[in-house]
Amino acid sequence: MNRTVLLLATPAIAVIGLLCLAPLVLVVVWSFWTWDPSTYWIKPDLSFAAYEAIFEAGRWKVLLDSIIKALLTGLICLVIGYPAAYCIHFLAGNRSAFLLMGLFTIPFFTSYLIRSFSWRLVLGRNGMVNSTLMSTGLIDEPIEWLLFSDFAVIVGLVASYLPFVIFPLLLSMRKVEKSVLQASLDLGASFFQTLRTVLLPLTKAGCFAGFLFVFVMSLGSSTEVKMLGGAAASMISVMINDVMRVVNFPLAFAISSVVILFLLILLYVGNRHLKLAKLFEDFSW
Amino acid sequence: MVDQFEGPIVRLGARIAVVVALMIIYLPPLYLLAISFNEGLQPAIPSLDQVSIKWYLALAEENKLLAALGESLLVATVTAVIATTIAFFSALAYMEMSEHRSGWFMFVIFSMFVPGVIQGLSLSVIFTKLGIPSFWATVVAGHLLWAMPFAFTVILTMLAVVKRSYLMAAADLGASWGRRLWDITLPLVRPGLIGGFIFSFLLSLNEYNRAFYLVGRQNTWPLDMFGKMNSGASPTIYALSGSILIASFLAVVLCLLLTWKRVVKTS
Repeated sequence: MNRTVLLLATPAIAVIGLLCLAPLVLVVVWSFWTWDPSTYWIKPDLSFAAYEAIFEAGRWKVLLDSIIKALLTGLICLVIGYPAAYCIHFLAGNRSAFLLMGLFTIPFFTSYLIRSFSWRLVLGRNGMVNSTLMSTGLIDEPIEWLLFSDFAVIVGLVASYLPFVIFPLLLSMRKVEKSVLQASLDLGASFFQTLRTVLLPLTKAGCFAGFLFVFVMSLGSSTEVKMLGGAAASMISVMINDVMRVVNFPLAFAISSVVILFLLILLYVGNRHLKLAKLFEDFSW
Repeated sequence: MVDQFEGPIVRLGARIAVVVALMIIYLPPLYLLAISFNEGLQPAIPSLDQVSIKWYLALAEENKLLAALGESLLVATVTAVIATTIAFFSALAYMEMSEHRSGWFMFVIFSMFVPGVIQGLSLSVIFTKLGIPSFWATVVAGHLLWAMPFAFTVILTMLAVVKRSYLMAAADLGASWGRRLWDITLPLVRPGLIGGFIFSFLLSLNEYNRAFYLVGRQNTWPLDMFGKMNSGASPTIYALSGSILIASFLAVVLCLLLTWKRVVKTS
């Protein structure tokens, strides 16, 4: 480490350290303190009450449910994203590949709130899907479960975070030598044999990174559930908001700590085994 | 060269996946955009003679919404300036490093993975304890952590344009580190910096979760809008959504044209 590096790195270390890491560490510490009704704040008495409270009132079910929703979203994104990335990288010409990559870049920077909200117009009672199906005579009454349901939440999540799976996949496909695929073909393997034994193993890091991105983003999401979920629908972020409405700081901190720890382990394992950072580095230098 | 070894069915399948992906992403917002030009009160796709910008003009009367939009623009501008600057320094640090690059990369992009609600809540508690009242700068603090990782990756990609040999040649000719930065690196990565700025600006402008606990008395537009969306739809919601969608779309396209032209040319 020379002085130039240190000097250049200082602003980022300061901002991330002070604004991101320090508050998170304090939240974890505070989650073990005791609620003090006289000050509406907490006092430094070691307590696990908040963690016990996670197992009450069905809160652990919300945690589990969020994880299942995030897993499902990640898998669906992978199933749609892999062939889409394959098409962009292997099938599309230069110009259309750039056009498609542009089209998949735009949603990163448009409002997630508006995009979730717009699904209401598509899935609602008088929405696009129902009115189309009714006018073609396929159904007589509007389908009710399309909106304000887990189905709508999953659709909204997939729509929001699908681009997060495409780019890691593209980066990993870019590193696959085409001659390797040709060799497999020359040796008599069918396309699906080549896919299963050559291409998929070579793009494993991209699959994992893409899945992880979608999983993490979905786990932390709240707008999709608030906009599209049913009356009782919850998600970790929504649960934290609810807990904070009754200023239950320790419980909010305990839930946050569990989530942060879970994400840290995931990122650590991901980086350790599949070299997440490497995926981006080869691309950038 | 591999020529079409997929067979027609696989190729068709892959193309269908692209179409499905694009439809999932674009169909609902485009539907909303179409509705926003409908003259009537009911959400419906307007027929050609019903197309009107009436609700867009009505936006000028929505003082509360405009104030929220103004606050968002202020927050987004400040966020973008700080995020781009710090991201640029961080990317330069990455380039200067000979080891620990992966660690540094993960460190800088880490905050992107922290759920917005948790990040916003933890920051707001700290600010309250420090006696700092919530106002636009506290929102900037939260948005910075969301925008900076994206700006960092954009600028890092752009720095690939700066070939190591250019810098070595300049160093051989006696140019100092600062001189090399000013005369070689900066002009080459300028599109990346502009791209990083626009991306950070848009990410901040559209952020809802991180602002939730950090806003003061003046809401940002997504917070104001969230309330409106849940309390009976008024057509001005569609008009504002439409304006924001169109503006974001144009800004990203501009950004891509700026950065990709340069990257493609050199690779």
